Amino acid sequence: MVGYILNLLILVSISGILAASLNFIIGYAGIYSMAHAAFFGIAAYTGALIALHVSTSLLVAIPAAMAMCAALSLVISLPSLRVRGEYFVVASLGLQMIAFTVFSEWKDVTGGLGGITGVPIATLFGYKLRSLESFLVVSLACLAFVTGVIYVLARTSFGRSLRAIRDNEVAAAAFGKNPTLVKTIAVAISSALCGIAGVLYAFHVSFVNPETFTVDQSVLIMAMIIIGGTGTVFGPILGALIIHLLPAGLTYLTFLPARELASMQQIIYGGAMVLLMIYRPSGIIGRANLKDTWSK
Amino acid sequence: MSAPVLRLKGVNKRFGGVVAANDVDLDLPPGIVTALVGPNGAGKTTLFNLITGNLKPDSGAIELRGRSLADIDPRGAARLGIARSFQDLRLFEQMSVYENVLSVMECSALPWQPGGGAAARARRDKADATLELVGLTRWHDARAIDLGYAEQKFLSLARILVTDASLWLLDEPASGLDPASYDRFVKLVRGRLADGITICLIEHNLDIVQGISDRIAFLDQGTVLAAGEPRAILNDPKLAAIYFGERR
Repeated sequence: MVGYILNLLILVSISGILAASLNFIIGYAGIYSMAHAAFFGIAAYTGALIALHVSTSLLVAIPAAMAMCAALSLVISLPSLRVRGEYFVVASLGLQMIAFTVFSEWKDVTGGLGGITGVPIATLFGYKLRSLESFLVVSLACLAFVTGVIYVLARTSFGRSLRAIRDNEVAAAAFGKNPTLVKTIAVAISSALCGIAGVLYAFHVSFVNPETFTVDQSVLIMAMIIIGGTGTVFGPILGALIIHLLPAGLTYLTFLPARELASMQQIIYGGAMVLLMIYRPSGIIGRANLKDTWSK
Repeated sequence: MSAPVLRLKGVNKRFGGVVAANDVDLDLPPGIVTALVGPNGAGKTTLFNLITGNLKPDSGAIELRGRSLADIDPRGAARLGIARSFQDLRLFEQMSVYENVLSVMECSALPWQPGGGAAARARRDKADATLELVGLTRWHDARAIDLGYAEQKFLSLARILVTDASLWLLDEPASGLDPASYDRFVKLVRGRLADGITICLIEHNLDIVQGISDRIAFLDQGTVLAAGEPRAILNDPKLAAIYFGERR
């Protein structure tokens, strides 16, 4: 039971990193990406291959995966961020499809549909993260790091520029900002932070295959943000917690037939999203965190 | 007369069959307020868009202190010292009033701005001083979208005031203001002329135009029909007829 809970918390931490990093571009920049699962996968494969062939150290795998994700993000952001937001959504969806195909078909490197197995145990400063407890601590530290980076960035001039461009790109450019460059950097940062989640995932499950990195995963990450609160610091983490705890919680409802759990889960997700959009369109944390500007 | 800050020579712009700028020759003399006046669809905002690089002219030349703006984009225009406001304000609505003003001084795309901590403090102080100047200090932390209309207008002006721009293009900056706010607005704008700022504004309210401008250019159907002293332009019965709907 303890192992199950630890495992769940590690997955929540990883999903929290995914959601927080995607929230950085959705919430602060208004850039909707459908390719977050692709970057998650790129990082997971990078981490797995480095662990198998170079080093099991997280301090090697994580920076390498972050660099890889940031570099590959330029492939979609440089051409598509010059135009309106809808084009980025389409371009990111295209990248997601291409990434899945590469993961499935580039068998020499990715192992194809069978994936890469036997990813060794991660190490940190020479210490093997053999236990779930130690890996959870590292995962939570990574989540705290990602959250901290986003929290700080959002409050810098860069964060203000991002939000200014999100609110009105024409006005931002009229005041001398470079929307394309600011958004490109934001996507690179978001993808790089997403890379941390990919590496942790590869080491945690010690197995990487394409099925984890589908467009469904991208939608799920987006759902975490919307549920928790777009543009908030802790909303995505709350969203990740809910998305992971809901199916776990459903298994305790013994009156539900086991084979119906998956469809019940989908119905509850759908219903919750509809109710959320009606009653709390800014997400669970969203509205509550907004300052009552008329109270001054 | 000193050399104009901005000069438009034979500028043409068409949108399909619509002539938005027809062989426009216009000079903006330094240190004064020039008002662009004309009926709806006369091409006033189009001229602003052509000057700032939001639109490219089909032909003709636009020069800022003798430098061609032919290949300029809006960001480049801002870097050359042209600041503009918009008819629909285009505030950064979800950001606070303070952030709206602070952010227009932060143009580097990198996660940091040049100049370090001292420059950052100077920007913050300037933002605070500007909010004080336009009377928005009490709304410092309010979101722009939550402001009343007059406050939003003054926030739009504050974003211009805080820049180092020497040419201001103001698109209907005073429309909808109550008389007291309007007086405050005129004082703020005209007060900056002594600093060498050149202002061009678009305005429909002729009382406002008369009260604020030193010179008027009258446009209709993309053509500058007349330019000169406000009294002469506003008292011209032919221009009045065009303005109030009787076609040429």
